Amino acid sequence: MTAKQGELFIDCDIHQRIKSPKQFYPYLPRVYREDIDQFGLRLTTTGGGGYLNGGAGGYRADSYPDDGTIAGSEFSLLKEQLLDSYNIEYGILGGQDVSPVSTLPDGDYAAAVAAAYNDWMIEEWIERDDRLKGLAVIALQNPKKAAEEIRRSGKHPGIVGVLVQNGARFPYGQRYYDPIFEACAEMNLPFAIHIGGEGSGSNGQPTPAGYPSYYIEIRQARAMGCQAHITSMIFEGLFDRYPDLQVVFIEGGYIWLPTFLWRLDADWKALRNQTPWVQKPPSEYVFDHIRFTTQPMEQPEPQRRLLSVFEWGRADKTLMFATDYPHWDFDSPELSLPAMPDELRKRVMLENAREFFKLPARQLAEAVAD
Amino acid sequence: METKHVVVARVRDFPANTRRLVEVDGQEIGVFNVKGEYYALRSSCPHQGAPLCRGRVLGTNISTKPYQMEYAHEGEIIKCPWHGWEFEISSGRSIFNPHKVRVRTYDVTVEPPEDEEEDPSIPMYPVTIEAGQVVVHVPVQQH
Repeated sequence: MTAKQGELFIDCDIHQRIKSPKQFYPYLPRVYREDIDQFGLRLTTTGGGGYLNGGAGGYRADSYPDDGTIAGSEFSLLKEQLLDSYNIEYGILGGQDVSPVSTLPDGDYAAAVAAAYNDWMIEEWIERDDRLKGLAVIALQNPKKAAEEIRRSGKHPGIVGVLVQNGARFPYGQRYYDPIFEACAEMNLPFAIHIGGEGSGSNGQPTPAGYPSYYIEIRQARAMGCQAHITSMIFEGLFDRYPDLQVVFIEGGYIWLPTFLWRLDADWKALRNQTPWVQKPPSEYVFDHIRFTTQPMEQPEPQRRLLSVFEWGRADKTLMFATDYPHWDFDSPELSLPAMPDELRKRVMLENAREFFKLPARQLAEAVAD
Repeated sequence: METKHVVVARVRDFPANTRRLVEVDGQEIGVFNVKGEYYALRSSCPHQGAPLCRGRVLGTNISTKPYQMEYAHEGEIIKCPWHGWEFEISSGRSIFNPHKVRVRTYDVTVEPPEDEEEDPSIPMYPVTIEAGQVVVHVPVQQH
């Protein structure tokens, strides 16, 4: 291994991509091939596809491979620019190309695409570099089928969680999703919600005020979705029903968390009677069960103002570092966070993610191997 | 501690599941007859000072697992008239955080009517509880 010297960390949000849907063919049932040849994968992006993105086509301009095709589509470049440029203990793969499967009209096709993606990720990425771990995409049209996929792909030791989008037909605490959480519990896998899909296809509108006009606006809608999922999970008793369940919100922001929890705890004192199975303050459910990733880290001026937010949100438990490579809003491991006490920084950069994804510390294992 | 004895009402005039509000040294106190037992609470919610004892006396929903609840403690809970915080009348403890969030309680006793004590020339009759009076004991504020 060519790990650089420097601060060891875990990157909780890496987007590896395909150059062509044909890369899924070895992993897909034969029946879908002609359809994809003619019509593509038919997956929509956030808001139904009408929004712009940022950077160079949505990516860091320097992250395109020499053939000029698709950023994130070549292992060697991802390795060079990310895994070997920093001292990365683990990188968590979140893909991108099939993330919106849950908005497809045909749930069986969606489940097949999710399974093909998971197999492609395992064989062509995870098994290539033992720093890479992955989140298994599931299709939510049929929760029982999604549960089967969790049990199938979750058997691979490189699968460290289950992945869905923030945009959804209805919030994730509702009983419709129970088979999925049963499978997560059985496989001991956390449930990851990555932003995206807000307002897409059969999902709900991206904001309570409908569809905004511009990309910068829809980026701000992410937190609304995260908050809806969090309240749903708490007040539907999801964490009482699945007491070991762990959840992470990826790329949904962080600074809104403390004020959101203050309001939630205050309201619960007055409205407790309506959901009496919620027997502790909502914030305690969050601190015990929910984590958040850093990128894109909010940037107050001066940056040290974030330290108050980190204290209020208990970042030493709840916050995990992510770069979002190769997206244009990549966060530098070195410069995106304010100066903070060493102990807190180690929690955020490394230890919270180790605990959350149940990953062993690597240094010791390597010392033994040497 | 020195306490002030404040007569609230005759027992016969203070039936079960009713309340009386009394003012002692400018502080409103709610005295409650909950199923035949008397309790008194300071009528000031620890949250934002609302007149707690003017709230509705109710039961509350209790639950042992998600999606299931039952109505319990009927007539034993007072719900703050402003933000709806619930308190157990008998203990002053809040339902949401009984160990940390409480409202002040006062002792209440039922005592023989004063006139029967004060006039020995009146022939004695067995004193019934209905003839007694409900007294709330309020510590005298030290200034």
